[in-house]
Amino acid sequence: MSDAARLSWPIKIGAAMALIVLLLPVVIVVLAGLNAGDYLTFPPQGLSLRWVIAFIQSETFFDAYLFSLELAAITMVISTIIGTMASVYLARTRFGGAKAMRGLFMSPIVLPGIVLGIALYVFYVSTDIGLARTFTGLLIGHVLVTCPFVIATVTASLVGFDPSLEEAARSLGAGPLQAFRLVTLKIISPAVSAGSIFAFIISFGQFDLSLYLGAQNLTGLPYAMYISLRYKFEPTAAAAGIFAIVLVVLSMVLSSRLINLRKLVARA
Amino acid sequence: MAVAGTASQLTARSRRGVFGFGWNRLWLLVVPMTLFFIVFFVLPVLSMFALSLDKPAAGTVAAKGDFALTNFIRFFSQPLYYESIFRTVAISIASSVIAAVLGYPLAYLIAKTEHPGRNTFLMILVLASMQLDGVIRLYGLMVLLGDNGLINGSLIRWHVIGSPLPLMYNVFGVIVGDVQITLPFMVLSLIGVIRSIHPSLEEAARSLGASPGQTFRRVILPLSMPGILAGMLLVFALASSSYVVAALMGGWKVWVLPVHIFQQVSNGGHWQFGAAIATILFVVNISAIFVYQAVAARTSGGRI
Amino acid sequence: MDDRSKAKLNRRTILKGAVAAAASTSVFNINHAWSKDVLWDGKPFDAGGAQLHMAEWGGFWEESVRKYLLPDFEKDFNCKIAWDSSFPWFPKFAAGGPKNPPFALANWNLADMHKTARAGDYFLPLDDVLPNIPNAANLWDFAKVTGLGITWAYGRYTFGYRTDLIDAPIKTFKDFWRPSLVGKRATYVTVNELQMTFFLTACAVYGKDQYDTKAGYEAMKQLAPVKTSDFTGNMQALLERGEIQACVQWDGEMWAMEDRGVKTAQYIWEEQKPLLTQTRTISKYADPVQKKLAFALMDRTLDPKVFSKFAELFYLRPTCKNMDVTPKMTAKGITNTADSIKGFWIPDYQKYLDHSDEIEETVNGIFAG
Repeated sequence: MSDAARLSWPIKIGAAMALIVLLLPVVIVVLAGLNAGDYLTFPPQGLSLRWVIAFIQSETFFDAYLFSLELAAITMVISTIIGTMASVYLARTRFGGAKAMRGLFMSPIVLPGIVLGIALYVFYVSTDIGLARTFTGLLIGHVLVTCPFVIATVTASLVGFDPSLEEAARSLGAGPLQAFRLVTLKIISPAVSAGSIFAFIISFGQFDLSLYLGAQNLTGLPYAMYISLRYKFEPTAAAAGIFAIVLVVLSMVLSSRLINLRKLVARA
Repeated sequence: MAVAGTASQLTARSRRGVFGFGWNRLWLLVVPMTLFFIVFFVLPVLSMFALSLDKPAAGTVAAKGDFALTNFIRFFSQPLYYESIFRTVAISIASSVIAAVLGYPLAYLIAKTEHPGRNTFLMILVLASMQLDGVIRLYGLMVLLGDNGLINGSLIRWHVIGSPLPLMYNVFGVIVGDVQITLPFMVLSLIGVIRSIHPSLEEAARSLGASPGQTFRRVILPLSMPGILAGMLLVFALASSSYVVAALMGGWKVWVLPVHIFQQVSNGGHWQFGAAIATILFVVNISAIFVYQAVAARTSGGRI
Repeated sequence: MDDRSKAKLNRRTILKGAVAAAASTSVFNINHAWSKDVLWDGKPFDAGGAQLHMAEWGGFWEESVRKYLLPDFEKDFNCKIAWDSSFPWFPKFAAGGPKNPPFALANWNLADMHKTARAGDYFLPLDDVLPNIPNAANLWDFAKVTGLGITWAYGRYTFGYRTDLIDAPIKTFKDFWRPSLVGKRATYVTVNELQMTFFLTACAVYGKDQYDTKAGYEAMKQLAPVKTSDFTGNMQALLERGEIQACVQWDGEMWAMEDRGVKTAQYIWEEQKPLLTQTRTISKYADPVQKKLAFALMDRTLDPKVFSKFAELFYLRPTCKNMDVTPKMTAKGITNTADSIKGFWIPDYQKYLDHSDEIEETVNGIFAG
């Protein structure tokens, strides 16, 4: 209560406006997904779960949803691992080119997905390395666009990190790896998990890359929705959106539980 | 200041080579990422640049190396194309400013909400809006902003207006779409920065007699500048490169660079010309980074 | 059905080993020399679980094809269909080059098909296709006129409109330019075949002939401000939500809307009679097993019983002499006779494509306002 009371009203009004901008389309989509009518219309003609059920039964959408989940999970693992490793290097190295390297690793953020998609596709096809229209080929694109988010969050947490802690651990007899694992990794782990959540969400919502790297059986949910809405405006797409939201709510509640547990443990 | 201190500490210690991995093997950590980026990022992007300097040949993808500036000449001799640079930049700047103005209060609120349940709830709201697919969210916006949408429909029904307000199928609609899509990124990049501003600074300013407004303007806002600028750069990059927002909210009539690229490559098979426009978009975004760095240097320079 | 599956069983035992071996080696063999000798005799065969890569529209179209055509087909030929609905296909063909086609079978509107054919030797010429497709013997001539693909269904171009919103019905082609429709009518993005055809028709109606681009540009200018859509499905949604009152469409889409209760009607163009065709091509250098499957799937599509299901669902008109129009369409006065196909016009897409850069740039500029 106290923390909210401290805030002045311009902040509260501004925050409320931002929430409206963020959530109004979401509310519309969720209601449209619960539409009892035949078509994607708003306001809905009564509420029902028929389109949610249609989504689960739909080969196209549900497969695309599972595909997106799988792709995002694998992307998250790879990006988190190589991104965290690179971040540790970038934060600690005295190599003069490190800044340039960081710039390189961050550049997919500013390189439009559509450009990256074309570039990769041209590269796959002209080198004939057998990655065009394959899962691996698409995965590579996803790792490229998610790595910057991992690096940004993890390096940010390492900048404020006091290395004397690790040194202390070593002086207490820990090996270098052990010291790293026990001290550094523990301290940066919130940033690592934030980065990996980012990677997951970015990958799950990635659209532009699929325009060129996707293929039959390699269609994620955003692209499946775009394709489907191009052919027919049906509420199944909106129902699919509900599932995407449910996913993030679940993962947030779960991860906040975990973090709270960690806090409890730390206090004890 | 704190950052600078840590950095010098870092280098001082690193010279002694005492912590973490042995110094001689630290570089191993960055090998996977570097190799990955050289093969799957640098090479593809370079080959795309090379392709932009080829003579146009419909349907041909592979670079031939017959150097010609045809594509760039075509681009810069037709207003339909070169004007889209300014349109892209203007839309992206507007989106990043609006996203910053809208996003800051929300980020501030979340950063200052210490109650874990309420904090998680707010984060869920932000992430849920982000997780709901962009394409379908744009549908929600279209329902809202269309000529016969919720806003125009109600206003006409209540006789406030006679004909629909131009809320979409134009630049305005694209900006609204871009703000909606990028706002979560802005909020998330601000939360961390605002949180890292030590509360004691705020208290100090207040105890020296500054009003809450003054404290905010003189202390909090300047200290948030790095986060605001980083968020604006991110929003700029996302907005300038989105095909789907411009296509759907602009009704395929707002010609920004990604729409040209998509139409040239996907529909026309003009890979060389498409690659040239992609190169131009790349240059636009790289320039944005330089502007960002210049502004960032100036604001932080003024602060310290 | 029963006879067919018996035949399949017999053949399966004989062919299984050989075809399976062929299919498994073909996975690793990316560049297939074009062999004219891939023939199909019209009988079911065992493809040994091979995948047939095809490009086709998505959404309800895909769901229906998956429901009514594919299960039997996959069973009868022991194959799997890999379906790609991420239009446009042209860049996908172009990216791999003719010798490495992404699909063995692709469904097109004519302009995009021509565009692809102009970029390289992608498609098996119709002379080599037709002997392998028994049902193709019944095709009307206009279905084979491109020499590249088989047109297996079509609809006519039309202006669809909302009867409850529009001030008066559209009765002529030029009615679409009525001032009362300013900002309330829509056509397509310039790269969509429907816009190309609309443009060429406007050239012909307002000018000397379809090559009179000056008249066409003027007509497009008079049309602005106009909304644009990228696909017929999206257009349907715009009309349904009342975002627009009238649009360029094809007749089947409008009938479908009408019959499910949306208050719409249409004016089918009479001044010129262009067709929106569904035309399938078979890739020249596709893997032999896939090519054979493509022949078979093409043949199955032209089977009157199979076709009538799609005609029923999508209000498609048949391109075979021996097919009947569905009852729903008979009720709308549609027939399939030598008389009914008279006067059909296929615009000169080749000529359009010669100048497509210029036309598209100009019209994009006009539409952008």
